[in-house]
Amino acid sequence: MISAALLGIAALAFYGAAEGFSIASLRKNSDALARGTTILLVSGLLCHFAALQVRARKLHSVPYRDLSDSMSFFAWMIAVTYVFLFFRHRERSTGPFLIPLVILFQVISLLTRPATLPARKELSGSLFAFHVTTAILGYAALSLSFILALLYLVQNRQLRQRRTGLLFSRLPALDVLDRMEHTAVAVGVAALAVSLTLGMVWAQKNWGTVWDAKLGATLLVLVVYAVALFSSPLGLKGKKTAFVSIFGFSLVLFSYTIVNLFVSKGHVFR
Amino acid sequence: MIAPMESPLVLVGWDFRRTPISIRERLAFTPDSIREALAHITRQGVLSEGVIVSTCNRSEIYGVGTTADVEEAVTEFVAGFHRLPKPDILGSRYGLSGPDAVRHLFRVAAGLESLVLGEDQILAQVREALRVASAAGATRSVLHRLFQQACAAGKRVRSETGVGTRATSIPGVALELARKVYEDIDKRSFLIVGAGDIAAIFYDLLVGRGARTIDVVNRSFDRAQALTSRGGTPRRWDELPARLPHADVVVCATASPTPLFGAAEASAALDARRGRPVLFLDLGVPRNIDEKVSSVENAFLYAVDDLKEMAARNLADREKDIPKAEAILEEELADFLSWYGSLAVVPTVTSLRRRFERVREEEFDRQLSRFERVAPEDREKIRLLAQSMVRSLLRRPTVALKEESDPVRRVERAEAIRHVFGLEDEGGSE
Repeated sequence: MISAALLGIAALAFYGAAEGFSIASLRKNSDALARGTTILLVSGLLCHFAALQVRARKLHSVPYRDLSDSMSFFAWMIAVTYVFLFFRHRERSTGPFLIPLVILFQVISLLTRPATLPARKELSGSLFAFHVTTAILGYAALSLSFILALLYLVQNRQLRQRRTGLLFSRLPALDVLDRMEHTAVAVGVAALAVSLTLGMVWAQKNWGTVWDAKLGATLLVLVVYAVALFSSPLGLKGKKTAFVSIFGFSLVLFSYTIVNLFVSKGHVFR
Repeated sequence: MIAPMESPLVLVGWDFRRTPISIRERLAFTPDSIREALAHITRQGVLSEGVIVSTCNRSEIYGVGTTADVEEAVTEFVAGFHRLPKPDILGSRYGLSGPDAVRHLFRVAAGLESLVLGEDQILAQVREALRVASAAGATRSVLHRLFQQACAAGKRVRSETGVGTRATSIPGVALELARKVYEDIDKRSFLIVGAGDIAAIFYDLLVGRGARTIDVVNRSFDRAQALTSRGGTPRRWDELPARLPHADVVVCATASPTPLFGAAEASAALDARRGRPVLFLDLGVPRNIDEKVSSVENAFLYAVDDLKEMAARNLADREKDIPKAEAILEEELADFLSWYGSLAVVPTVTSLRRRFERVREEEFDRQLSRFERVAPEDREKIRLLAQSMVRSLLRRPTVALKEESDPVRRVERAEAIRHVFGLEDEGGSE
């Protein structure tokens, strides 16, 4: 059986090649290169999925319990969400800016050694697996929305300052970035809401309570993003939505790191 | 089998660089006159194949010639066809043949020879020229292949270099900007303020790009009505403030000496739009829109000078990519010439051999009539000797032609051999 590490490296190679192709396709404005990007990216996804499968069989649970596994899973979810965004909006010019996120987390995953943790009974089962999977999907979609929000602000600034150089001509239109960002936030919010619900059911069953600091943090994240998503009547569009998105993402980082490490008692990846 | 070297590829043309408009307009061809001219020129035997590319900037006749002085013959024909004195069109004419003619056509198709570098209409015009000539039955394999390859080369230059990418005209730049705020022009609403020439140019441009929602506000309502004949809604002057919040793109092109609106009006419009951005294009001189509008959140204001500057910058960017475009054209040229050269070599070798054999036969008969007392077996020996000499003499040039891998050089060698040995009158077919 091929090792998970080897499959992970193959996936990384595919992602790297996809990034190269997407930059070239943007520079040359070539359809053939754009098709190549999609093929490479999907090949990377499949390799990566196989790597996760190998790990899951070994652990008898969703592979998330140490840094290496959770980063790899996270990278894969980002790639899945990006491919979804790509097909949903038919917009290839954001690829060079979004694929690096996949590469970054996959590199972190490959550089850290997977820990050998004892299996824990309460952490197996499909309820828990879905809770973790949807949480990671939610965070992956929100990280993409963060990058898209930054791109929106960059493009907005260029338009305002009348700097219409190469980057300006290559980035998509403001309304496209806006729509993509909304889609990413919508996926993120939906996935997190599902994850939160499943998590509460699971916690009630195993801990006898639903309350946890992580739950509070996630609720706050959800509220912030819901404002970004459903706030058109409030006059939040474009630039303001982008700011809310960026603020929401900083909360995600806070919840992922500070809350995980110092506040939450039972909600740690280990 | 076509024998390209005895019927070389030629181009005779007149363009905006060398020929004044007064003559150029008389040299222009319509699709009908192209069909007529091609029928005449092929019937007269001046060209065996022909294609005419005629635009407002150039009239060019590409052809496969049947005689040595084909350029003169084509010029003569054009003068006669357009009823112009030959001296009037001789001075500004350019004539190219072989690889140079091919290279010129590829440059034309890629927009490198255009008045506005890289403009994209010419590619469609070249494609149309081939279609008209083919329909008239004036093209066979050489010109058909040549023009198809020219279109492919032009397309490659446009997709692989920046020569034809960014807009270089003010309306083009304005449209490019609009598409960076809202991608789908056809789903957006436009507000044109003014109904003069510039407003009309923009109206045509937007209608051409499929924009369906166009409001035209003008002081004279009649003129607004006249302008919106092909779609859109004419509006009265006092409707301007009410229409502002509905517009995704506002184009102002009036001769008003004072600004039509300022930051307060723009701000109110944007508030009503709940933050959806607006692109303001101010084409008025003096300005129609107060400069302070650019400080309003989600309002992007561009004045005519900004657009001019962008157009100039884009043109400079296009020029930077000329070497890259030329490299692509040379690749395509080599590809065409290797095909064309393969046509060229075989007939050249054939006619060269035929020429030598004919000289041998003639000389043999002439000389042998002077030696009456040569025995028949000696006569045969002399014939064999002459045959072997001819074969030896032919071996080197044949090898030189067939083994040259560089297609340009192969065509040039074939041409040189045909010229040196006067093979133009020699039939090349097997």
